[in-house]
Amino acid sequence: MSDMHDDDAIAPRITSDIILERRRKSRYFQGCVYLVLGALVVWSIQVTIIEDTDWERMGSVAQVLESANRFFGIDYALFKDLLVPTIETFMIACLGTLLGVIICIPAAWFGAKNITPFKPITYPIARMMMTISRSIHEIVWALFFVAVVGLGALPGIFALAVRSVGFIAKMSAEAIEDIDPGPVEAIRSVGGSNFQILLYAILPQIWPQVIGVIIFEWEINIRRSAILGLVGAGGLGLVFFRQMNTFNYHGVMTVIIAVFGLIVIGEVVSHRIRRSLI
Amino acid sequence: MAILEISNLHASYSVTGPEILKDISFTVEDDDFFAIIGPSGAGKSTLIRCINRLVEPSKGEIIFDGRNVTKLPKRELRTLRRDIGVIFQEFNLIERMSVMDNVLSGRLGYTSNLRTLFRAFPRKDIDHGLQLLDRVGLIEFVDKRADELSGGQRQRVGIARALMQNPKMLLLDEPTSALDPKISREIMGLIKQMATELKVPCLCNIHDVQLAMEFCNKIIGLQDGYMKFYGPTEEMNKEKLDDIYAMEVL
Amino acid sequence: MLSKDTSNTVPIAWSRYKFPGSLIRYGAWLSAFVFLVYSIEYLNIPLDRLLGMFGRMGDTIANRYYPPDIEYIMDAEYFEYVVETIQMAYLGALFGLAMTVPLGWFASYNMTPSRRFVYPIARLITMGCRAVHEMIWAILFVSILGFGMLAGVLALTFFCTGFAGKLLAEEIEAIDMGPVDAIRSTGANLFQTMIFGVFPQIRVAFTGIAIYTWDVAFRAATVVGFFGAGGMGWYLKRNVMQIETERVAAILISILILVMISETVSAWARNKAMKMK
Repeated sequence: MSDMHDDDAIAPRITSDIILERRRKSRYFQGCVYLVLGALVVWSIQVTIIEDTDWERMGSVAQVLESANRFFGIDYALFKDLLVPTIETFMIACLGTLLGVIICIPAAWFGAKNITPFKPITYPIARMMMTISRSIHEIVWALFFVAVVGLGALPGIFALAVRSVGFIAKMSAEAIEDIDPGPVEAIRSVGGSNFQILLYAILPQIWPQVIGVIIFEWEINIRRSAILGLVGAGGLGLVFFRQMNTFNYHGVMTVIIAVFGLIVIGEVVSHRIRRSLI
Repeated sequence: MAILEISNLHASYSVTGPEILKDISFTVEDDDFFAIIGPSGAGKSTLIRCINRLVEPSKGEIIFDGRNVTKLPKRELRTLRRDIGVIFQEFNLIERMSVMDNVLSGRLGYTSNLRTLFRAFPRKDIDHGLQLLDRVGLIEFVDKRADELSGGQRQRVGIARALMQNPKMLLLDEPTSALDPKISREIMGLIKQMATELKVPCLCNIHDVQLAMEFCNKIIGLQDGYMKFYGPTEEMNKEKLDDIYAMEVL
Repeated sequence: MLSKDTSNTVPIAWSRYKFPGSLIRYGAWLSAFVFLVYSIEYLNIPLDRLLGMFGRMGDTIANRYYPPDIEYIMDAEYFEYVVETIQMAYLGALFGLAMTVPLGWFASYNMTPSRRFVYPIARLITMGCRAVHEMIWAILFVSILGFGMLAGVLALTFFCTGFAGKLLAEEIEAIDMGPVDAIRSTGANLFQTMIFGVFPQIRVAFTGIAIYTWDVAFRAATVVGFFGAGGMGWYLKRNVMQIETERVAAILISILILVMISETVSAWARNKAMKMK
């Protein structure tokens, strides 16, 4: 054995006993924490699910499975009626994302610490806008806009736009804050104006990231657009609503499949665009 | 008795890719400290990884401790790997865990799933671990996180971990390439000392030829997947080295 | 003056536009633009009346939504619904995360137990859960299981599994495989390799994913009640149906406040987690 330090005789040596004891204590403590959390969860389940559910109406497991089984089937006659709402849903998603991007331009500008025009005021306003946009569910936005501009495609577009601003502006602002200040200095030294600095020095650096974020949010907006119709904002959601109301469960499944189809298209397109960026 | 017999080993990383190892054959005896040398890309790392089947060989045979490694079903790989300790170039410690936990992870091949979940290693493992840590000189670092250690210290933990397995053989994959020359020598010395004490043969992949000639008793020279030299260290000379490296090296 | 005569050595004239790259790119932009203009036409969006609408929006809000009926939401029964919404949210997030742990593992290309069977199935499940909007999950479950929070919790669970599973799989695919090799070399099985080699590396990222999941789940939980799946959304639906706009305004404000509180809490939790790294 290597002869080590003499002061081992004075300092307490680590032994297996100490280690085992420590581990036991730590496991015991962890166990207690999990027990308390577990009790909390059980209580919540009791209060929310067990007491609240109408168990009699639900019936046995077999009956539940049968209820679920009602959905498995396709209403082929519905397909031709789905074409227009599907296109509408897709368009609402695209226009909503576009409008959102337009709103993001000032939002990201104000929300980036390094280029915001008047930091004490514009920066917090922009950040607040982003948080509000992200915190409110798109259904709530849709309800709001339907009440204000009426039914149809327009409230859907507004709802998606306002909902998307939060994420896109936040990511873009962070991208702007992370840029390399070198090119900015360079363009400034050749005498470029602020706009030229934006175009030549800032934009090229953040472009791939921003496009990535926009495509990501666009894909999600396709999902959202499909259900906004449930509250009157146009597209497949309306068809879904009608099928549910007439208890045409196969129709419901058909609409869901149509939504899937749209999402697949979205994924393929976004994959292509991402690849061409790299 | 030979602990490891390699015959006509071929390997490539993918079925359609180029062959990395071409017809390698050699034997490691019970008391060898065997070196594999050669330029980068010669296949040294691949060879080491074939032995415990981190890389699947495409042709040939590997007999370890009387067991045919290449034909072993996946289930028994675990028992095989338990008996082979590996020390890595990049240390490969679990950065966020303590030194003690890292050393104990060497016993995972002998630990049940349930014990692993709760990190409840038996007392004799903890005793053994403390003993090894003391031997490599890191007893005060027992509770430190692995990422708080220097390179040389991390490799010592790696040595302790490998030896926790009570292995029948040690594989070393460029154990000192990431360390500076003085520490490299210390680490190689420590490994050789402990391997000799515990009577564990070593198969070592080394970049630094001087270290190889100093610590190892037998050498294989690889070039581009071929075996260009196989014999005791005494037979190695400048000409043969130049042949392997195809350039001036010493 | 240049000392050498370069007129023979200068190869081709440089142009900004390259064929066919530039053609494809501008073509793509053009078709996107045309599509968007066509959409505006197709959806009958009255561009000319748009600006007028903003003015009308202000009027509508001032007249119908103000002052918000705060008394309505200060009610004890409403408060119960709020508490239930919170419980639904964290149960949904919890169960969702519990399902995510194995699912994310199976859906990661480097650590999945079987690349031919388990991996594609796991990926399919996460994609499927993500593709279905949380409200659709809610409607489906309400239809099968009846009104109430069971439907809500299940809907949130499936929803969370979808995106948390994808995030977790991506995190696992990004780890350093060195320690994984080391643990496998000691003879550990796949489960042990996950515990010792993978989990320590993704622990911090997983906490981030968990906090994010809670945020999204809570946001959705406030609204699933609209479709009968329990929580304060039910109040929203009732008042929208009855066109009690001042009460709707009050409910929306309460939702906003709650989500803000939740976001503050999770931002704090995220900071703590960062420091504990």
